[in-house]
Amino acid sequence: MIILKNIFKYYDNKFQRTFVLKDVNLTIKEGEFVSIMGPSGAGKSTLLNIIGMLDEPNEGEYFFLEQPAHQLNEKKKTEFHRNYVGFIFQAFHLIDEMTVAENIETPLIYKGVKSRDRQAMVADMLDRFNMVAKKDLFPAQLSGGQQQLVGIARAIVGKPKLLLADEPTGNLHSDQGKEIMKLLQKLNEEGITIIQVTHNEEFANYGKRIIRIADGLISSDTKL
Amino acid sequence: MQNIFKSTYRNFIRKPATNLINLVGLAVSLALVVILSVYSYSELTTDSQHKNGDRVYLYSDLVNGRINAPAMLKTQIDLTIPEVESTVTVGGPWDNPVFQVEGRDPIASDIITADPDFFKLFTYEAIEGNLTTALNDPMTVVLTKPLADKLFGKGSVVGKTVKIDNKNSLTVSAVIKVPQVKSTLSFNAITSNASRKAIYPNPEEFERWDYRNFQLFVLLKQGTNADDVSNRISTLFPDYDKYKENYDLLKLNPIEQVYFSKFRLYGSTYLKHGDKTKVMILLLVAALVLIIALVNFINISSSQWSEKIKQTVVLKVIGADRTSILKGALGEAFILFLLSLLLAILFVLLLYPFVRNFTGISFSASLLYKPLFLFVSVGGVFLLSLIFSLIPAMRISSSKAVDNLKKSIDSRNSKSVSRGILVTTQFTIAIVLIAFTVLVQKQVDFGSSNFGFDKENVIGIKLTPQLMEKKDVLKKLIQDNPNTGKVSFTQYFPGKLNEHWSRPQVINGEKKQFGFDTFNGDANLLSILSLQLVEGRFYSDDLATDSKKMVVNETFVREHKMENPVGTKLAMGSGENSPLSEIVGVVKDFHYKHANIPIGSLIIKNDTYVSYCLVTVSTSNFKSLSSFVQYVKNETSKLSPTFPVEVSFLDQAIENLYQSEIQFRRTFTLFAGCAIVICCLGIFAMSMFACQRRIKEVGIRKVNGAKVSEVLAMLNKDFVKWVAIAFIIATPIAWYFMNKWLESFACKTELSWWIFALAGLMAMGIALLTVSWQSWRAAIRNPVESLRYE
Repeated sequence: MIILKNIFKYYDNKFQRTFVLKDVNLTIKEGEFVSIMGPSGAGKSTLLNIIGMLDEPNEGEYFFLEQPAHQLNEKKKTEFHRNYVGFIFQAFHLIDEMTVAENIETPLIYKGVKSRDRQAMVADMLDRFNMVAKKDLFPAQLSGGQQQLVGIARAIVGKPKLLLADEPTGNLHSDQGKEIMKLLQKLNEEGITIIQVTHNEEFANYGKRIIRIADGLISSDTKL
Repeated sequence: MQNIFKSTYRNFIRKPATNLINLVGLAVSLALVVILSVYSYSELTTDSQHKNGDRVYLYSDLVNGRINAPAMLKTQIDLTIPEVESTVTVGGPWDNPVFQVEGRDPIASDIITADPDFFKLFTYEAIEGNLTTALNDPMTVVLTKPLADKLFGKGSVVGKTVKIDNKNSLTVSAVIKVPQVKSTLSFNAITSNASRKAIYPNPEEFERWDYRNFQLFVLLKQGTNADDVSNRISTLFPDYDKYKENYDLLKLNPIEQVYFSKFRLYGSTYLKHGDKTKVMILLLVAALVLIIALVNFINISSSQWSEKIKQTVVLKVIGADRTSILKGALGEAFILFLLSLLLAILFVLLLYPFVRNFTGISFSASLLYKPLFLFVSVGGVFLLSLIFSLIPAMRISSSKAVDNLKKSIDSRNSKSVSRGILVTTQFTIAIVLIAFTVLVQKQVDFGSSNFGFDKENVIGIKLTPQLMEKKDVLKKLIQDNPNTGKVSFTQYFPGKLNEHWSRPQVINGEKKQFGFDTFNGDANLLSILSLQLVEGRFYSDDLATDSKKMVVNETFVREHKMENPVGTKLAMGSGENSPLSEIVGVVKDFHYKHANIPIGSLIIKNDTYVSYCLVTVSTSNFKSLSSFVQYVKNETSKLSPTFPVEVSFLDQAIENLYQSEIQFRRTFTLFAGCAIVICCLGIFAMSMFACQRRIKEVGIRKVNGAKVSEVLAMLNKDFVKWVAIAFIIATPIAWYFMNKWLESFACKTELSWWIFALAGLMAMGIALLTVSWQSWRAAIRNPVESLRYE
């Protein structure tokens, strides 16, 4: 599903070039649950952003579902975001002015789903995450764990093939974190490919494969 | 679409203070823009209702651009110039006559007289009667609807009669609507020149070339060159060969230019004129106020950018493309602008009566409901929202997703520069406006107080025909009151136009033409108006030989280059051997017309034909003043039972005379005030953001021992700097425009340095007060609170 070949990412300062990713080669198949680990500044998030097409590598090739993603234009990238991928963030990044239901509904609007279908899909999601009673609340009225649930619901409502999670548990306490991880595991079992970045050894073990990164290089790649 | 409304609404609710500032500021400025542009539109389209307007011209002649023509000219033009389709002479009497319908109260109203073709040149809408024939028969009159209602009450009036000055009866032949579009011609009643001969018998004005009591309008045939015609008209004068260079100044002025031209009209005041400079200045002010409000808009919306950017990135990540993001931003701005436009129109409708009374700015409110207005205003608002939302939105949407998501956007340095420029622009405008307001106040005060004569405690009684016959009885009656000071009979009253004479003179064997303004007065006039004698003496009532003697002003002496004015005898009749009158004295120049008009040469004649009785009141106590006026009113109405008597204070009459200046001052004060308030709203919001942004810094500084005063100084420093820069920029700009503006006045106030200092200090004071409110709250805050969440 994902093939990264010789990916380099660097920033040029006045006198020197700082490498974030150095010659990363990676293949991820459909149905995998990958945890990317490593110390701060190792390049985990950059790697995830490149996979999610929020960032571009300076060098290298990236194939998504056999398509050369490094050659996609803005419009195709939007297509990609709409149809294939869902994002979960550490800081949740819900839209403050929208209610829970509207937050979940938004990606469907962009996808062009009809209003009646949207209502049904949103209702499904709310039902599934036990949030029907909270559908008209605003993000600020929810706890962190609940906000992340909304974040996940928003990410998967469009039935993406790939779910990218950048430290989804980073702003949560451990009980909430565990719940979220269990949920991700369940989603993976239902067939969604998941890539998560995490600091937490325990949470990394919810995945099926752990990739460790240090100083821009993949230092280990273990299947559990 | 529904989403845009929802998110706009929720956005608004989340930050009510700043958004309200934004909305109200925009609404107030748009209200000003609406008022001023509708007003300017109605001023600039004056006289556009006349169907043949493009072919109608007004005659003007001689050096001063006078617009007085002899009636004889019409006959000659009709006879000899075939390119002229129709010629109409229009005249007004010196004073408003009294109209009376049997069984109803008499009403004083204006009337003009014209030739039958009047309605061919000028388009009016008839409510009753047929306008093409309305003026054909003598002794018929066309009334405007308001006057007809006042005179007759309701119902059809054509065929009914009305009495003029208790003498002549006129039959109403038509009733016209007062046009909605502004018009130079302003009258309530119009009768034919044939009736004029009966009502104001003065056969000479129709038979002699030197009686110029009319304005002459011509309707040219399609495709005729006005200059050719005017050249040919000038040759029609019998003395053309003698005064060729004067007659070459004869001009035919297109009717749409008449309103904004500065023609001087002696006699009645049926021709209104506007001031283009004033219109332009007000339009400029409207634009400036709009700029100030837009700066607020930019500042407030840019302070929300960092949040917006994050939100945009999230939207992008979940699949929004650029167009939908741009649409959202545009929609939100458009809704805000549209809302403020609606609010603005509401303000205009609610406040228009007040604005009209206070500033004299008037326009037909129906303009607001015209499709043109709707189209232009909504279009304008759309354009504004397009410009002011799309540029930042494009920047936001094109920025790279991750960068914005990851880092908290902190481009404080680059932004504070542009923010500084914006606030400086705002304050530059504010300072210029304040300085200009002060100058306008100063000029208007100066103009209306430097008359060269005393105007306090003088009342004027307008002499009706019945009072005129009993002048001596009137004088005795008034003098019976213990509060009466002096009594004088004169033709002079501020705001009433003076006669302008032109008389041939033979001085030292040399033939000359003397032009001058003139009015009659008696011996007491000098002391009542406290005029100052420069040379010779004023006449005295005791000397019977003083009748027909004259006093001139300094300008007269200067203009006619007289070396020994006192004792010079001038011919005051128009014939060859007219009687000579002797000049006995010279008075200091005073503004007998209007302080904005240069003082002309003036002769005060000691003659018995008068129209006003001036009385000084020896008390200034308000109660005895009003009881004195009551006394005068009672006594005069006994003497003049058929004609209502007008009694007015001289200073009030002068205030009326300066109405347009006073209104301009008020307009300016009001609008400059609005500008400053909007400015304040803006920097209030800005200081709020600045304090929020720097709350951590304040906390850290306070923990490290900064005093409240030091924190205050730190927070206010930026604003003080911006205002100071604005002051430096504003001063030369203001100075330049003030000089330009003052040039248009004959009698101008000085451009003192303190005007600028005052404007700068005011701006600084206002800014500091506004900013300090927020800074103070930030400075006294407990640092623990602001640092807690680190």
